[in-house]
Amino acid sequence: MAEPKIIVDNVSKQFRLQADRSTSIKELFTRRGRDKSVDEFWALKDVSLEIPEGSMYALIGHNGSGKSTLLRCIAGIYQPNGGAVHVDGRISTLLELGAGFHPDLSGRENIYMNATMLGMSRKSIDAVFDDIVGFAGVERFLDSPVKVYSTGMYVRLGFSVAVHVQPEILIIDEVIAVGDEQFQRRCFDHLYSLRKQGVTIVVVTHGLAIVETMCDGAAWLEGGVLQRVGTGPEVAAAYLGRVNDREAEQREETRVRLISSDAGAASPERAESHEDITIDDVTFANADGEDVSHIVHGEKFRLRIHYTASAPVEEPVFGFAIHAMNGVHVTGTNTQINGVSTGVVAGSGVAEFAVPAMPLVPAEYEVSGAIADRHVQRLFDRRDREWRLIVRHGSNLPPHGLMDLGGEWSFVQEDPT
Amino acid sequence: MTAPAKVWDYRTLITNLAMRDLRSRYKKSFLGWMWSLINPAVSLGIYTVVFGFFLGGNDSALLAGNGRTKSFALFLFCGLVVWNAFSSGVNQSIASFLAAGPMLTRTYFPPECPIIASTLTTLIQTSIESAILMAFMFALGNVGWTMLLLPVIVALLTLMAFGIGLLVSLLNVRYRDVNYLVGIALQLIFYGTPIVYRLDTIDTKIAGIDPTSLLVLNPLTHFVEAIRSSLYLLHAPSLRNWIAMVLSATLSVTIGWWVFSRKAPRFIEEI
Repeated sequence: MAEPKIIVDNVSKQFRLQADRSTSIKELFTRRGRDKSVDEFWALKDVSLEIPEGSMYALIGHNGSGKSTLLRCIAGIYQPNGGAVHVDGRISTLLELGAGFHPDLSGRENIYMNATMLGMSRKSIDAVFDDIVGFAGVERFLDSPVKVYSTGMYVRLGFSVAVHVQPEILIIDEVIAVGDEQFQRRCFDHLYSLRKQGVTIVVVTHGLAIVETMCDGAAWLEGGVLQRVGTGPEVAAAYLGRVNDREAEQREETRVRLISSDAGAASPERAESHEDITIDDVTFANADGEDVSHIVHGEKFRLRIHYTASAPVEEPVFGFAIHAMNGVHVTGTNTQINGVSTGVVAGSGVAEFAVPAMPLVPAEYEVSGAIADRHVQRLFDRRDREWRLIVRHGSNLPPHGLMDLGGEWSFVQEDPT
Repeated sequence: MTAPAKVWDYRTLITNLAMRDLRSRYKKSFLGWMWSLINPAVSLGIYTVVFGFFLGGNDSALLAGNGRTKSFALFLFCGLVVWNAFSSGVNQSIASFLAAGPMLTRTYFPPECPIIASTLTTLIQTSIESAILMAFMFALGNVGWTMLLLPVIVALLTLMAFGIGLLVSLLNVRYRDVNYLVGIALQLIFYGTPIVYRLDTIDTKIAGIDPTSLLVLNPLTHFVEAIRSSLYLLHAPSLRNWIAMVLSATLSVTIGWWVFSRKAPRFIEEI
């Protein structure tokens, strides 16, 4: 493992909660005897982590979990109340949209301004000036004041300056997300190439796919407390697991509330949502039709939607969706897409979808089920990611990625002439 | 103490901030840079008319170093150069530090930078005013070697204003009253410095105390005296002047920078 470039050692950061606290000297005297602890808020509590040189590191967590505070501590903008941050190298930061841009100055002047703020000399800015402008794509507006720039141009210019100042450490808050898809991709491509050049990158992101695929390491913060440190996929999975659990809890709560309110006077809302067909359960079965807790990769499997219809319904549409744990929608289909007629459905029953060979690679997946009317305009019932589908290794080595194409290799060799 | 080496690393930023300040100051004005010449020249003209002709302030004690010239306006202007350097130095520090707030919370750079930059722009303005003053002295044939001391005096004055600027701009971030207090303090200091009057013409006692003994405690008094003697009277400033100037400049910068570098990071979080 490479030498740590950034060491965050037991860092705590406290803020005073009241924003308009003694801003006048009068208050300084009148407030003296009051207990100050009530106004304190710990944005970070004993956070320790090491970021190795040349790695891409992600900080994840909910809004207000302390990610940005940690970034600012690393960047040297905030001084921690406890602990210390050791940083070895020149830092470039992109912490906020158009940070350090002066609205009245032109794009050109702002590039120089911003780059010098990041510690560049005039000569070295001249050398990369064209690259900065080219990457940001603002050639035409270079001499217009940046206040007339669009949000996208603002972000592009800010990002472009931050990555072109030859930093050894690059610190980026959740600002790239403002750009469009194409720009985001270019940003990450650029970050990737910087990382290959040995630049250490720390990002705050909500894109778990990025954390999984691009980041060597990640840390998950919650309420200022470090929850987990590890490789990108590990931390992303742990984080997502928590998010799902919480969501499930909330759903459970809602359900309990609805049921208990049902015990009283039936509310009209409840009556409306009490649909003609409901999903009782979704189960998975093997080739023999036995319900199983997990499916073996490459083997036949059946997905069963158990339903109960309180009244006859003509041509309902049954559907399901499978999501990977990182939120990627892997697949999903319904009877309408597959051109299956369901006829008139009444009473209880099972809708079964059979797959000859499980194409998904071994992992855990989440399954949703839904039943809609014949035009898929109105949902009778929909249960989001409520079931866990576990795919296990079979005898064959599974392929990379998400699924098995099930193809076959063949070779045609040309005769050497 | 933030190592001055660190500030030196950011010298490009400092010059950029200063240039931006100067450029935006005269942006969209027709005469542009000319204004920084016109303003002091016009005020000098006004003083000449008011004090030279209306108030008849040209008594014999005001005889300049060349033995011919008697101009209260030039005498006054010497003091005003000092005053402008000090007061705008302090005021610009407060304004620049406050304006740099949004940048300071989003990017790291030594927080002294904006204040150093504003001090530089003030220094440029002071140099222009001094040059105009010198031009008049030359025109009147009031020239002597002591004029060469001017850069040293201006440098010391700038350092003193810088140190105080660091302190008050820092305090102003937390207690916005400071801005108003500084306004009042500056008015008091203006009259507590022999700018529109002369130290040697005071002959009253207030409650048994000679006001002169209090006025010499004000470092600006010595800067005004030093500039007057070296530019107008054409003799070297007294030793007392030199000691007061060097001492006040050193103390101000040392204390100002020490406090600033210790407290600034915390205060910035509140800008």
